[in-house]
Amino acid sequence: MTASDLTKKAHKTRPRKKVQGVGSGAPAWGMIALFILPAFLLYSVFMVWPLFQSLYFSFFEFKGLVRGGFVGLRNFQELLTRYPLNEQLPKAFLHNVYFFIGTMLIQNSLGLLFARLLYVSRFGKRFLQSLYTMPYLISALVVGYLWSLMLNPLFGPINQVLKAVGLGAWARPWLGDPATALPVIILVNAWQWVGFPMLLFSAGLANIGEDLREAARIDGATSWKLFRHIEAPLLLPVIGIVTVLTFIGNFNAFGIVWAMGGVNGEPAGSTDVLGLVFYRTAFRGGIDAFGLASALAVLMFIFIFGVSMLMLGRFRRWEEDLQ
Amino acid sequence: MTRKSMLYKLVVLVVLLAALAGCSQAPAATKAPAPAKATEAPAKATEAPAKATEAPKKEEKEPVTLTVWSWRTEDEQAYNEIFDVYEAAHPGVTVEFVTFVNTDYNNILATGLTGEGGPDIAQLRAYGGLQPLTEAGQLVALDGKVETLANFTPGLLKGATGIKDGHVYGVPFGIQAVAAYYNKGIFDKLGLSEPKTWDEFINVLETLKKEGYIPLAAPAKDTWMLPIIHDAVGAPRYGGPEFEKKVLAGETDFMDPNYIASIQLVKDLQPYMADDVVGVGYQDSRTLFITERAAIFIGGSFEVGFWRDQAGDLDLDVFRVPPAPDSVLDSPLTPGWMDGSYGVNAQSDAQEEAIELVTWMGTPEFGQMFTEKIKQLSPLADTKPVDPLLQKFAKFYAETPTSYLHLVNFRYGDPSGSTLLGNGIQKMLLGDMTAEEVAKSVQDGVSQWFKPGQ
Repeated sequence: MTASDLTKKAHKTRPRKKVQGVGSGAPAWGMIALFILPAFLLYSVFMVWPLFQSLYFSFFEFKGLVRGGFVGLRNFQELLTRYPLNEQLPKAFLHNVYFFIGTMLIQNSLGLLFARLLYVSRFGKRFLQSLYTMPYLISALVVGYLWSLMLNPLFGPINQVLKAVGLGAWARPWLGDPATALPVIILVNAWQWVGFPMLLFSAGLANIGEDLREAARIDGATSWKLFRHIEAPLLLPVIGIVTVLTFIGNFNAFGIVWAMGGVNGEPAGSTDVLGLVFYRTAFRGGIDAFGLASALAVLMFIFIFGVSMLMLGRFRRWEEDLQ
Repeated sequence: MTRKSMLYKLVVLVVLLAALAGCSQAPAATKAPAPAKATEAPAKATEAPAKATEAPKKEEKEPVTLTVWSWRTEDEQAYNEIFDVYEAAHPGVTVEFVTFVNTDYNNILATGLTGEGGPDIAQLRAYGGLQPLTEAGQLVALDGKVETLANFTPGLLKGATGIKDGHVYGVPFGIQAVAAYYNKGIFDKLGLSEPKTWDEFINVLETLKKEGYIPLAAPAKDTWMLPIIHDAVGAPRYGGPEFEKKVLAGETDFMDPNYIASIQLVKDLQPYMADDVVGVGYQDSRTLFITERAAIFIGGSFEVGFWRDQAGDLDLDVFRVPPAPDSVLDSPLTPGWMDGSYGVNAQSDAQEEAIELVTWMGTPEFGQMFTEKIKQLSPLADTKPVDPLLQKFAKFYAETPTSYLHLVNFRYGDPSGSTLLGNGIQKMLLGDMTAEEVAKSVQDGVSQWFKPGQ
């Protein structure tokens, strides 16, 4: 029996554990609803209702905070045609795409690597797990501000250390050079959040029965084969969750980019993201700002929601294929 | 589907929903139109005072607390001292001065004026920044109600006027002007003196650079400072007040060759700024100046308080940048603007008392205290600044005034001239745009809303 046969067998014959405290048979929908209710209420009042409000507002003209007359799709049209918004919006969207790709490649790959390494490590597992997750407990603004202090070309320690060890040629204005600013922000964001996918992957790895691994090792599977053929497929649901959450987080990114690149996406708009465009439109715009900003919020929501649903569907189909 | 996998999937869904609610970093602005949530300011509701009775004797006045909102966190103590004087002269009136961070102030104020819990009196932005509030009808029109408005010139009152209805909504409190601060200690050490011609100016910069200083402490990371530097060095080049008149009348626009040449001047001065100047922020540039690594700082009169606080023992002076070659005007200019005014909330419960307070803010008594304690220029003619740097600014602005062009005239629409020019100059310093492309960007953007001859 090969390792992949074992995988298939495991899926079919997972032992049925009785869910504690529920009694036999059907899940207690009442209990589930009760537990979900507080979060659902908060979510509805503070997220769903304002979203519908934004949709409503996006069809009106605004004078400051006072709502004017109905203008149909004009706010959307203005978004796409007013200079310089019509240039900044696609550029910001592209930067979000780079952000997502960079984060997937760096943050989530490293998270998976760390989870895998920690899984087999003997010492300091708890300690290292805590260490890796601590950064994302800090506010994005604080992280961004501290890192921009460290990366300051005139007074920051990073350049000074580079110069001290003779790598002065590498010392550049990291956040002042359009070519390096966005990659640096992606790296800082990855530094902050690497613990999150790491924890999810750790949980996923722990969920894979040890007997599966033993059977594979008996069959002579190397560590890499073990990972590629057993662990990775079984981690697919977790990979799906991590990907979708990363996507949502990256396309909504605002705090860290604002803290490091300023409200205009300095330098020269090279770190501009949709969140910053939204902020500028809403709070640094003209008299009709809120109508435009609501329209942008609606567009962003439709895009992020739509693509997230597509991704979830895709991952679900992959999981079913594997089964 | 097993029970366990179904429960697992349900948990996944719940986690996702919770994550959407929690992890999503969508800016809170989607909730902004609901005033209750957005007002995180410690909005102290005014005690609802009974209006002073109209009885002939008028002896028993109910105590009134007036709340004044401001964006000048640096000035809180000074204003409290100033309002102590007012309170002593007006028994029964207490003035509470509340400040908010400068960058969030506009939104906090707009929200506060919409519902309950707003101020009675608010510090108002000038010119374009004032219009969203006046168009929404959130302020009391003061012309006819405040007699001290007569103490201000029409030019100054323009900054407190709503352009749609022509009413004056605030009592101006300050003016700012722009010039070049310099470290007199460094100049004396190197035997330099204030340049009177552009060639002398370049010589000074060259000498400073040779001696290892950063000649100009300019920030290109914070784009709002760039139009200030542009006007300080370029106003004579494009013709200052004459150009302003022509542009407003529609006789010329920003593609005027003189205007383009004035933008080029900033690029010409780039060798004398810090290396990688686009990475230098506003605070960095101020630090460079007060740590004496840089010798000249082109900036506004609003810096004086900061210099005195942070580096009180530095020997500083200020000069006007001489006109560049081929300038339309052959004398230096001092760009300036009316910084802001104090206006009254249309929803205030204590409108009468509030109007009385802002009337007092138009008196020389207030103006003199303002310039002494807050160390900024007062727009009232009789006030005498005490700080020598401010005295110089007052003298410069009185002798050779011009409008800080974009702030005064081109913030009435979106995109504002200041934003376009600042972003454009930053790209020019990076080498991504030429001076002509910057001018075109400004012209294209502003012409979307600007109608000459208004």
